[in-house]
Amino acid sequence: MSSQHALSQSDLLPRRRRDWLFGLGLTIVIIVVALAVVGPYIGPYDPTLTTPNVSVPPPSLSEIPGLFSAWISGTLEAPPNWMGTDASGFDVFSRVIAAPRTDLVIALVANGLSLLLGVFLGLIAGYYRNTATELMMRVSDVMQSFPVFISAMVLVALAGRSTTNIVIALAFVYTPIYVRLTRAEVMSQKVRGFVEAARALGNTELSIAIRHVLPNSLTPALIQASVTIGFAILLTAGLSFVGAGVRPPTPEWGLMISTGANQIILGEWWPSVFPGIAISLTVFGFAVLGNALERRYDAS
Amino acid sequence: MLFRYISKRFAVGLIQLIGLTIAVFFLIRLLPADPVSRLVGMNSSAEAYAQAAKQLGVDRPLLAQLATYLGFQPDIAPGLLQGSLGVSWVTGTPVTTEIAAYLPVTIELVTLSFILALAVAVPIGMFGALNPGGKADKGVFVYSLFAGSQPEFWWGLLFVYLFFFQLGIAPAPLGRLSPMSSPPDVVTGFMTIDALIAGQFDIFVEALHHLMLPVFTMAFILSGPIIKMVRQNMARALQSDFVLYANCAGLPRARVARYALRAAMAPSMTLIGILYGFMLSGAVLTESVFSLGGIGQYAISAVLNYDYPAIQAVVLVITAISLVVYLALDLIHAAIDPRIAY
Amino acid sequence: MTRLEAAALQASSMIEPTTARTVLSVENLVVGYPVDGRMIKPVDGLSFKVREREVVGLIGDAGSGKSTAALALLGLARAPGKILGGKVEFDGRDLLKLPDAEIRAIRGRDIGIIVQNPRSSLNPMLRIGKQIGYAYQAHNAASGQQLRRKAIDMLRMVGINDPERRADSYAHELSGGMAQRALIAMALSSKPKLLIADEPTSGLDVTIQAQFLDEMWNTVQQTGSAILLITQELGTLANYCDRVLVLHEGRIVEDAPVREFFANPQHPYSQQILKLQRERGSSLGLELPEGGVKPLLQTRDLRKTFAVQHTKKTIQAVDKVSLSIGRGETLGLVGESGSGKTTVGRCLLRLLEPTSGSVVFDGEDLVKLPPNDMRRYRSKLQIVFQDPFDSLNPRWTIRRILCEPLDLHSNLSAADKNKRAEELIDLVDLDRTLLDRKPRGLGAGALQRINIARALACNPEFIVLDEPTSVLSPRARVGLIELLVRLQKELGISYLFISHDLTTVRYLCHKVSVMYLGQIVETGTVEQVFSRPQHPYSQALLSAHLFPDPTNRRVDKVIPAALEGEIPSPIDLPIGCYLASRCPHVVEACRSTPQTLEPVDTGQEVRCWRAAAGEITAFKGAHA
Repeated sequence: MSSQHALSQSDLLPRRRRDWLFGLGLTIVIIVVALAVVGPYIGPYDPTLTTPNVSVPPPSLSEIPGLFSAWISGTLEAPPNWMGTDASGFDVFSRVIAAPRTDLVIALVANGLSLLLGVFLGLIAGYYRNTATELMMRVSDVMQSFPVFISAMVLVALAGRSTTNIVIALAFVYTPIYVRLTRAEVMSQKVRGFVEAARALGNTELSIAIRHVLPNSLTPALIQASVTIGFAILLTAGLSFVGAGVRPPTPEWGLMISTGANQIILGEWWPSVFPGIAISLTVFGFAVLGNALERRYDAS
Repeated sequence: MLFRYISKRFAVGLIQLIGLTIAVFFLIRLLPADPVSRLVGMNSSAEAYAQAAKQLGVDRPLLAQLATYLGFQPDIAPGLLQGSLGVSWVTGTPVTTEIAAYLPVTIELVTLSFILALAVAVPIGMFGALNPGGKADKGVFVYSLFAGSQPEFWWGLLFVYLFFFQLGIAPAPLGRLSPMSSPPDVVTGFMTIDALIAGQFDIFVEALHHLMLPVFTMAFILSGPIIKMVRQNMARALQSDFVLYANCAGLPRARVARYALRAAMAPSMTLIGILYGFMLSGAVLTESVFSLGGIGQYAISAVLNYDYPAIQAVVLVITAISLVVYLALDLIHAAIDPRIAY
Repeated sequence: MTRLEAAALQASSMIEPTTARTVLSVENLVVGYPVDGRMIKPVDGLSFKVREREVVGLIGDAGSGKSTAALALLGLARAPGKILGGKVEFDGRDLLKLPDAEIRAIRGRDIGIIVQNPRSSLNPMLRIGKQIGYAYQAHNAASGQQLRRKAIDMLRMVGINDPERRADSYAHELSGGMAQRALIAMALSSKPKLLIADEPTSGLDVTIQAQFLDEMWNTVQQTGSAILLITQELGTLANYCDRVLVLHEGRIVEDAPVREFFANPQHPYSQQILKLQRERGSSLGLELPEGGVKPLLQTRDLRKTFAVQHTKKTIQAVDKVSLSIGRGETLGLVGESGSGKTTVGRCLLRLLEPTSGSVVFDGEDLVKLPPNDMRRYRSKLQIVFQDPFDSLNPRWTIRRILCEPLDLHSNLSAADKNKRAEELIDLVDLDRTLLDRKPRGLGAGALQRINIARALACNPEFIVLDEPTSVLSPRARVGLIELLVRLQKELGISYLFISHDLTTVRYLCHKVSVMYLGQIVETGTVEQVFSRPQHPYSQALLSAHLFPDPTNRRVDKVIPAALEGEIPSPIDLPIGCYLASRCPHVVEACRSTPQTLEPVDTGQEVRCWRAAAGEITAFKGAHA
């Protein structure tokens, strides 16, 4: 029986509704996306301003209920530092929830750019096989053999440590992946019967490529994207960690872990641990989603 | 056949490396960084600037610089053709010497991490595949997804907090040996091996002790994709037609298991190669958490100081090692699976 | 033992089948697969018996549970399936109750099995000889050189040339036919009392199918095994089986001796799959329109060559093919895979550009048309492909699929297009509710009808049918053939029917052309070619075909020798007759003289100078 590769929209949901893992992943992703929109505004403190209270530890578990009711009833002078403050006096909690604005937006925009470019080039390279497209693939091969983290580090550090440059650097290292995936899928789709049928019906080649081949070739790239978004967050944070990412005081998880790193040997764990948990869960959430899509795709 | 295959792969790899060298060369020079002013300081005089530029050779046209770098003008300076990767703009030392000092640390770290990760992950992955759908398999699967998507630098810090600060069973994350100890004579560059060669067993143990947390960290991250791969390949092999047919033919259980194992191993080689290359580059983060002074940290300082020859060399060397590892694993793959033609 | 002795032996066992000992007895077998939390039961209450030395045929649609049943007889089920209940009694023991070690001892030793997908069933990483050796060693005391010798003996026994060399091959180096033979060598190495053959010829070419089944039949006669032969082909049932079991919805609905089954099927499903034979005999008896027909489409010297990569050589896929198809007429194009018949179909529609020659449709040479004009013509010429699962865009609804040709070739309003889509779905006897579904999940028969409906959308005058029935199960195939005949009658369309299934060609076509290595070697009316084939290749093709006629069984008669050797490579073709290397009638002159199509006495045209000269013994065609 011939394989039916394409996924329709309804297929993108897992077969069994009570898949708790998928539910967890989806919940995490939704929360992170929501924080990317409102995160910088809802925190108790401005995420980019220091306070005089330096290295305040977070309240212990037993203090939290009392603090919470005091905070609600408005008897506190200043809102509590739920996750403590770091050595410069930043409120860790406000920064943790503001960071998706940086991390997720970088990951999404970079992936969006490389997805668009990669699918476009992959479609051309897969549909029209000639010297020009072969040459393009060789260039793509060379780009893909770059060591990912070090290349990103070089690009950002030399171009200037700005959000835009991080986006461009990530798009640069990810585009060849999408080109390759899309090209392979286009090549397997364009020899399928429905493409030949479309030709027999009198479609032009351009219309076949865009209306028949392209929609059926997107799935691998989309699955890859859901995984790569997570990795892009890790990469962004990693760049900040080694000092080749966004500049302080931008709220960014990797940067927060990095500034807390010196304290952790002294036992001040909170400035690093909370943003780390945020990254850990977020990337895990995207991995779960990506895996659910992948399994769905493999099953068909 | 085999020889032809290997030489063909080397040729392709070489062309890829040349392409990469040229691409990197232009890429870093087209970016709006100014290495000269970084070197001489922002407020230096125009004269000093010009002199520094001349000294570094960046006042010459780009193509001329490339020609020198590739080694077509050995009278000006030795280049790639002469086996030189240039001289560091910051330290003035030949880059090859510096790489030779930093690289073994990274290779030691990554290789040990791989050995540990494989030793743990392969049995776990197999266990999952042999009990498909069960609670344990689900657990294995969730673990593999989780471990594969973690920030290693953060886990490194957590481990430091836990095992150094709280429990005190790990050394401080300040290098390969404690500051009191003196390293063994450099033979291979691998601290553990050099210690053994020198017969300094205490240094060997100390080196291992210092590598403990970094290796745990990387092995933890690595175990995710490896478990996932082993589990998937093993499950696929167990469901394959030929394993089913082996059962139909009444082959003994042990024989069927061997069929499946071999079939699962073959496709794993490619991914292990890719992971190795990925880790070589990703070791930057773990190294900087534990101040190990590997090629990753060398790369960081090169990048932050705009030390172009060093940057080029790091990218080139890491890619070259990755290509060699791919080739070696492809050869193993071909030895396991006769369908892979040379 | 010769073939005839074997046949006699087999016939004697047929006379009193009930006295023979029962080898296998299946009672109420149930196999289930969990899907979305429910249990689907592809095998649901299966009961039947197989006696000693008996050849039992098991026929059923795709999805009727045939393969699942075959595995369950060995106590196996593909994960995540499970055997839920029932008894499989072999030699008085219930296999399903045996401990693992004991049932493993029975598998392969007492019950051998060969399956549909021989190449993926062989271990890709072990040499064939080694695998056969392991299978033998599992049940017999032997080692080292003995195993190798046994493997080579078995390979020789199943008809593999040069078994010493083949024993050192890997599965991917074997052709489908050879892999299937290697599998049967493994299955029979311990002389099982029962051989289960699950569609053993499904991937093989027509000419090899019969040869393979003959060899399997002969080998089993030597080992004295019984066979359970699972198939979707009536021809296989009729020619090799003593008794027929019909599997429908997981259970046996009919169990009858083979002649009785064909003469008087009892169950409605059996009646449906035998409908064409029963109503019309062997041919639909199609009449050509009175006074001859005006040609609608004619090709002249059509050639198509493909460049071989990295060389200057070319493959001659189609070589000077001249065809003529009249209005309302069906021309059958038959030949083995690789004969170029599919390429001809593609060239007619310029889905492949012909290298030279003309395709004149309704007075216009299509080959000369500029691309834009050609696109307009496409509403008049359509094609239906072999694989229905592959030929519909999986992301589109059926409605959108059916409207696509209208978007391209008509100015209808959206409402009118919708109406036309409904008309079309009615025309091919499908339910209108399908219009808003996507192709996924529909059966091959329904999908192929949708393909036909799409082809009909713009009222074409000519349709290329490229093996449209080859992946359909027996019942869907009958339905589709009836549909095609009805549509031709109602709409007056011409068909080019490309197929390797001679039984269907005989039902459906007025004229037939036989292709070999890109050339037409014989062309004439169905009557002429099927009853008095003249070209040695046509004769071989017809004699290799398994017609569904149990009164004229292949195993009961002497079969003329099949063609020797393999099809030559289409890259370096001989100067003279292309068949010369394999032809039983070859003389020296054949090798040097290029052959042309010449008319012969019986009315058809033949590309063989000896046949034209009346030098080739007439061959009694198949069931004229």
